[in-house]
Amino acid sequence: MSAVETHPAIPYLPTPEERVEGREKVTGHARYAMDVPIAGALWAAFVGSPYPHARVVSVDAKRALRMKGVRAVISGKDTAPVRFGRRLQDWPILAHDRVRFMGERVAAVAADTRELAEEAARAIEVEYEELPPVFTLEAALAPEAPVLHPERASYLYLGGGEPPKTTHPNQQGVVIHEHGDVAAGFAAAARVFEHTFEYARNHQGYLEPRGTIVWIEKDGVVHVVTTNKAPFTLRMQLSKALGIPEETIVVDAGYIGGDFGGKGLSIDEPALYFLAKKTRRPVRSLLSLSDDFQVTNPRHPGTLRLRTAVDAEGRILAHEAHVLLDGGAYAAGKPQAGLIPGDAGLLLAGYRVPAARVEVVTVYTNNEPAGHVRSPGQPQSAFAADSQIDEIAREMGIDPLEIRLRNAIQPGETDITGHEWHDHLAREVLETLAREMKWDRPLEQRSLGASALDGPAVPRSSTLVGRGIGYCARHVGRGKTELEVEVAEDGCVYVITGAPDQGGGAHTMLQRVVAAELGLPVERVRARRGTTAETRHDPGVGGSRFTPVAGGAAIDGARRLRAELEKLSSDLDEALRLAAERHLRVPGMFDQTQSRYSVCAYGVTVAVDRDTGQFRVTDAVLVADVGTVINPVAHRGQLEGAFAFGLGQTVMEDLVIEDGRVVTANLDGYKLPTMPDVPPLRIVLLTEDYGPGPFGAKSVGELANAAVGPAVANAVRDAIGRRVWSCPITSEKVFEALSGARG
Amino acid sequence: MSFELHRPRSLDEALTLLEKNEGAHVMAGATALVLLMRQGLVRPSVVVSLRDAGLGGIRAESDGALWLGATTTIREAEESPLVRSFCPALAEAFGHVATVRVRDQATVGGNLAHADPAQDPPPMLLALGAEVELAKAGRKKPRRIPVEELLVGLFETSIEEGEILTGVRVPPLPAGTRATYVKFLPRTEDDYATVSVAAVGRVTNGALMDARIALGSVGPTAVRARKTEAALREVALMPGGADNGRLTAAAALVRDEIDPLDDIRGSAEYKREMARVWTERAVRSLLS
Repeated sequence: MSAVETHPAIPYLPTPEERVEGREKVTGHARYAMDVPIAGALWAAFVGSPYPHARVVSVDAKRALRMKGVRAVISGKDTAPVRFGRRLQDWPILAHDRVRFMGERVAAVAADTRELAEEAARAIEVEYEELPPVFTLEAALAPEAPVLHPERASYLYLGGGEPPKTTHPNQQGVVIHEHGDVAAGFAAAARVFEHTFEYARNHQGYLEPRGTIVWIEKDGVVHVVTTNKAPFTLRMQLSKALGIPEETIVVDAGYIGGDFGGKGLSIDEPALYFLAKKTRRPVRSLLSLSDDFQVTNPRHPGTLRLRTAVDAEGRILAHEAHVLLDGGAYAAGKPQAGLIPGDAGLLLAGYRVPAARVEVVTVYTNNEPAGHVRSPGQPQSAFAADSQIDEIAREMGIDPLEIRLRNAIQPGETDITGHEWHDHLAREVLETLAREMKWDRPLEQRSLGASALDGPAVPRSSTLVGRGIGYCARHVGRGKTELEVEVAEDGCVYVITGAPDQGGGAHTMLQRVVAAELGLPVERVRARRGTTAETRHDPGVGGSRFTPVAGGAAIDGARRLRAELEKLSSDLDEALRLAAERHLRVPGMFDQTQSRYSVCAYGVTVAVDRDTGQFRVTDAVLVADVGTVINPVAHRGQLEGAFAFGLGQTVMEDLVIEDGRVVTANLDGYKLPTMPDVPPLRIVLLTEDYGPGPFGAKSVGELANAAVGPAVANAVRDAIGRRVWSCPITSEKVFEALSGARG
Repeated sequence: MSFELHRPRSLDEALTLLEKNEGAHVMAGATALVLLMRQGLVRPSVVVSLRDAGLGGIRAESDGALWLGATTTIREAEESPLVRSFCPALAEAFGHVATVRVRDQATVGGNLAHADPAQDPPPMLLALGAEVELAKAGRKKPRRIPVEELLVGLFETSIEEGEILTGVRVPPLPAGTRATYVKFLPRTEDDYATVSVAAVGRVTNGALMDARIALGSVGPTAVRARKTEAALREVALMPGGADNGRLTAAAALVRDEIDPLDDIRGSAEYKREMARVWTERAVRSLLS
């Protein structure tokens, strides 16, 4: 069933791990990008456009250059025509003809101090000629809409193949998927449901700011210290953009203080390269939080129109979806071939879908470029699809749990992508959830106590309660990676990886997997991260990939090492001693090609204040199909964190852009959940369906955030009898829905 | 960012520094000023810190009034047994400000001088009829004005050049006075209010006398709702909690006494509705 056979008797995987990253972090030894001391480094600062769409007429840096300590100023003239990006390199390093979003950089300064660089940036005079901006999907796709990228055909498209075929010049990406006989499914339907959902823009919310240092050695080697989570991929992107060989670039990513999908795109590195080249000095930059909110790559907002055909029992016969997403000014943040965010087309994940036509289109606008955020594309698709399933159940008088059980996908059946399904626990996840929630008993209109809502002034009579289910599936990461396993002089086994840890416990996973495979105590195994010059190729952390892919490579490396050790001695300790003398080093490789999924479901209870629309999640349970657990503490952390993350996106997070300007460009406006906002979460793990990862592991990094949205939406629907069709579900929207019900 | 920082050891010394340095910024807990400086909204050349000027302290005055010195931290005010026994709702309003770490730095005087309409203490102090004292070099007796006259606009006060707010005086509360402060936080516990309501009144024979209502986050300044107050005179609850018909009607008047804006904490219309709901709830809680 899995590429790596399971080891039911691994002695210590179930015991909580001591995170190797944790010790370094709490003692202050963990090295983040900005901790790297570089003698004589200059500071960079940028000039951002105050207009969302304008022609850059001139850049006058005379005043800035006269300031003592200012070493260089560059503008689009110096960097044109170079553009950067993860797949389509459409984002100019510095705008040279026009700016396409507010805050887009038109010039960069290198100076002796950060304050001076910023002061010099303010002294640069840029003349703009405003162009008509395009902010909405409708305006961008209008027949006469201004074309935002007339020169698109000249952009580099990485990774081979052809860029997606577009039918309107402002389309960024297009993915159309079709399988089965959709027309026949709709023709045979007992009922057809059509609903439209909206989703807002979210920021990743990482706390470590983006930081970068770039310098060029005398031998021409370009060194990049970065907060990017995929150093080898960044090296490739820089190589293509700058036209220099990959071997002459060394990328060094240390610990990353939170990523949540956003740090696969780098925006400072290319400009710093030009500044370093011009000044012959190291140059560093540190993005402020408010700039990060304005100029990086948040989640795609958009509109999702869903049509679903069902038979008389509510079984899905066919599904049609039109997903239209605001990609902002550049597609650079998207690594996917079709230039859509990850799984935006994964409507009805975890359901049997005999026939489907799904069209996902991303659109160029004069808003902030959008990119990847934890489980890219899926919070949108799950919010829409699993809300619709709930609505279908209510319309047809079917129990919301029952309709999911009837449609939960079984091995051998066809999923929304048209592929055969190989996982076993979809029904069991739902059945377990029903037991945990006591679904068969009516929700008690029990006293919620004063703490459920805001204080003693809330009359108990105004409280409505409801419960809802959110159900979703997420792929187990695929891809290949390499690492090395070495026996060092100290007699310890080292796993040498090019992957940074962005908080998930990547290195602890490598340590425990290798220790378990070799039968060594964990203290005898260590993980060591190196730069792209010191390690084998690794695609970076992301895409729920690290445990199943790098974990597989760690197993492979451990096995190769064992084979070598057995040649040295039949006694493991003796073999290790001899191997240490020889600095024995073996590679570990793995290519995870299986199409596998984890399934999860939430059950949540909400209390709604009918006079204000305010609501709180008062109880939550998560059932997740996860395979073997490698790091129990980090694993739980991923699931609990995903719940808090998903809850934030569902009830409060909204990166509001008005006329191109991010108006919630700080944490006083862009609210993230705090501890008092997150209710207790019970987690039930189903581990018996082994995945393709080490010892049967699946993925959890992105599994559990997308289903929070529909769970809360469905619970609110249950409580108030009306649905909120757009996310985030704010109290005001609930109030409006209630007012509609009253009126 | 560079500026001249003075840390005077007395009020007189601070006032002299202000007299000598026109345009100098006065700093107390620094929580607001430093943020404004970081955002580039304020670029002071001279900063006079009041931290060592001896302006802290909480005391009961001989007439029964409560005095809160300007550099008393919000946390001290929140936790003070004196404040709590004087008016528990006032302690609670202080306890709603930001987070513990901020409350440990931010001060009672700075909070008022900042004139942020979304802050928690101002509506409560307005409803309690509090006054502030303003000292100035060469002035024998401080100028005393009601908080309502202090707050003149968005981040704007009537403090004159050279003046320092030395403290706030809350007049004695007549027997039978009840007070409450409600902060409506629909998104997260860690936020500015969408609407906040402070209500103060005397309850005699189950009826509300001398109601004073003030609201925060619904206009350029914290604001008294005088028409609502007038309509609330002698409102009472019937047995079982039903009102005598006037409470709901009176609370609805508050919609037109405020001037909220559409923002990320809600549309202006939603805020008007929420002001109505929470005013009614606040008054009900005084009567129950």
